[in-house]
Amino acid sequence: MAYWFHRNPLKATAPVTYELHGVSTNEATRKIFSDLRLTRAKLLELLTDPNHARETVEKAATDYLSLLMGLCIPMDQNEPENKLRKLIKFKWTNTLLGNVPTEASDTGFEFFSMLFNVALWFTKHAAKVAAKDDPDMEEAKEIHKCLRTAAGIFRFCKDDLRTKLIDPPTEGAQDTDTRVLDAYIQQCTAEAQEITLARAVELKHAVTLIAALAYETADMYQKGDDALVSLDQKDVDKWRKYFQLKNKFYLSCAHSYNGENLLSQDKCGEAIRGLRESVDLYGKAEQLCKEYGQSKGAGTTARPQNHLFFRKLGPVVKRTLEKCDRENGLIYHQKVAFDAPQLELKATYGLVSPEEYKAPALHQLWSADVYSKFSTLNAPKPQPVKKSKEETPAPLPTVKEKETPMSDKDPKNNSGCTIS
Amino acid sequence: PSIPTSEPGMESATGDVPVDEFGLPQIPQSAK
Repeated sequence: MAYWFHRNPLKATAPVTYELHGVSTNEATRKIFSDLRLTRAKLLELLTDPNHARETVEKAATDYLSLLMGLCIPMDQNEPENKLRKLIKFKWTNTLLGNVPTEASDTGFEFFSMLFNVALWFTKHAAKVAAKDDPDMEEAKEIHKCLRTAAGIFRFCKDDLRTKLIDPPTEGAQDTDTRVLDAYIQQCTAEAQEITLARAVELKHAVTLIAALAYETADMYQKGDDALVSLDQKDVDKWRKYFQLKNKFYLSCAHSYNGENLLSQDKCGEAIRGLRESVDLYGKAEQLCKEYGQSKGAGTTARPQNHLFFRKLGPVVKRTLEKCDRENGLIYHQKVAFDAPQLELKATYGLVSPEEYKAPALHQLWSADVYSKFSTLNAPKPQPVKKSKEETPAPLPTVKEKETPMSDKDPKNNSGCTIS
Repeated sequence: PSIPTSEPGMESATGDVPVDEFGLPQIPQSAK
């Protein structure tokens, strides 16, 4: 599915040395800081390349986050919070807000931001696999799995990590904003369901099931768009256009398959009205593709209108509508309904939900004894976090992400989903 | 033999039809 998915950029971050003079007091504490520095750098390097194997990135993420956990969670029941939590200032950009970072002296913010970036990597890896000319069955499973994993991580960021942040930023389209997180959850879930839908089309499943899945997918894209409606439009316009074009395309798809079903039940008048709705929605999707391509904003530009799955729907719907019109004139003589037919609200099979994410266990280098050897008596205080508009933090360079060449070559079948 | 059900994360309104890795019926209903 070349250029089928929109992707926002990775978050950039400033280097963190984990060198806190006077805080590490022995070999065990120095080892933890040293490993934190190394595993962080390694994970950040891996995240720039979507070609790595999923297992490689999962292991690197676990290596770093399991160590970082010891700086986040309560380690001593006599303390109100982890004594190491506020010693380091972290800087991270936001996926929708350019190069000026958000700063926080909170290891919870670091955990949230790094895990968020890991979720972004899963979406980019899925897009990379989907960009092949003819993804096979195993690759379709990989795309599906990665997108559900990403959705689960974003949900964990929203429902768990975000609620524990010390002082979450409140202004603008920050990645910690629940509306932004909701949009990511909806996007990943909807894209995974697109894979299921493509497979259902290829395997010639019942048209009622395909129509219901298409309608559910359209609904997810609508919810993603709705989540962003109250944010500053200059930050989210391009992303919203992507949600809108996918919503209209899958609504068109749903009415098309529903029309086929109505015709099979000799409800020709209703079928004609549904197919007219489908043609109208397809036209709106084409227009939104143009607007999306011209809109400025963060992220890669998908080209869904170039994909065979998109291109094929319009002519198919028009042909089916012409056939219905002919048959209605010759056989049925039914009145064309005024309102478009209602679509099924629930698909019985193939509905996707995010895969639950479980945070890694605390790294084995940590123990109550090792924690007690960290001394915060002479800890250097982190620079105060810049909050006012006059004190904007210095911008960070954009992450250099490895390019994934994508061809516009048509797949060997209609959907781009190979069956086995 | 037990009837395979969908994977965790796959929702199915009915639990009595074997499904594939994507939560779709193993035999397309249109082919029955």
